[in-house]
Amino acid sequence: MSERRIRIEGLRYNPEKDTQPRLQTYDVPFTDDMSLLQGMQYIKDHLDGSFTFRWSCRMAICGSCGIMVNGNPRLSCETFLRDLLPGPVRVEPLENFPIQRDLAVDQGRFVDTLASVKPYVVPAQEKPLSAGPHRQTPEQLAAYYQYSQCINCLLCYAACPQVGLNEHFVGPAALTLLHRYNADSRDVGWSARADVANSEGGVWGCTLVGYCSQVCPKAVDPAHAINQNKAKSALDYFGLRSLLGGAR
Amino acid sequence: MSEIRIYRRPMAARWWARNPTYRRYMAREASSFLLFAYALTLIYGLWRLGQGQAAYDGWLTWLASTPALLLHLLMLIAMVVHAVTWFEVAPKTMPKTGLPERAITLGGIAAAALGSLFVVALAIWWGAWR
Repeated sequence: MSERRIRIEGLRYNPEKDTQPRLQTYDVPFTDDMSLLQGMQYIKDHLDGSFTFRWSCRMAICGSCGIMVNGNPRLSCETFLRDLLPGPVRVEPLENFPIQRDLAVDQGRFVDTLASVKPYVVPAQEKPLSAGPHRQTPEQLAAYYQYSQCINCLLCYAACPQVGLNEHFVGPAALTLLHRYNADSRDVGWSARADVANSEGGVWGCTLVGYCSQVCPKAVDPAHAINQNKAKSALDYFGLRSLLGGAR
Repeated sequence: MSEIRIYRRPMAARWWARNPTYRRYMAREASSFLLFAYALTLIYGLWRLGQGQAAYDGWLTWLASTPALLLHLLMLIAMVVHAVTWFEVAPKTMPKTGLPERAITLGGIAAAALGSLFVVALAIWWGAWR
């Protein structure tokens, strides 16, 4: 059987030499079971050892290998070369992030804002350890479970034009985590994170493009998470929230 | 250690043109301008009505002219685009009802739809023939 090849065009940027990025082309032999990540690893192992990209688990769990594939944000580990035929395949770093080297981006924007949404349970009641675990009903679990599946791959940031246009926007993944903890029955809820949600870069920074939810590899639906909080934020604005009862 | 040099790629002015989801989003947002134009048309009619019968008749004559009909056709298309695209994203923006999931059944949705239709029919009948 003759060897099949596919052309991969990689964006290259070496911060020590280049003033701006350029494209470099590689012809990669592939088999039907090869992911795009494996194709890029072939480049690194056999064609050009300086080609830089991030990866770890190879099975859509770690969230490291997000890149732009032909202009769309994808995890390279779960994108298959056979589905990209006849090629060429354009691989670029995630959009809306500064490029550090080749396909590796500076994720600082996400990491720096993450702490502000308090991505942990702010307990509604302090219980001593001896009181045992906090119990939840299946409904209470279902209220936040989907949003807890985020793997921080940042495909949603690359999909969101508002992230690119508005430097103050907190961003889809961080705001989804805000909702994930707000919706948790063990958590104080809305009041714990209202300052971030109501801020200029909070939930109102979202204009409901909705592409974040389409590209999410874990079906988290950030657009839904963010927009669920707009009603609460509006009630806060008119001072009606406490009137209608409760901080949740 | 020296600072890592980064490269910021500029965002293209026509960023919305390269992706079908972005184009749909822009169509949804841009259609609101024609909706605004329709609102202005109606408000203008109201203003002309306040100026007396002759002014109002003049507005009605303008409505029947070819440019006005063409404009209304455009506004109707924009209205449909706006309504359909917003209806599509409604599930993302609707606050949760607080009802348990099993309380929302197909029969219940059908009953609510028929009930609403009945209320609308009643309102039209009351408005037209009372």
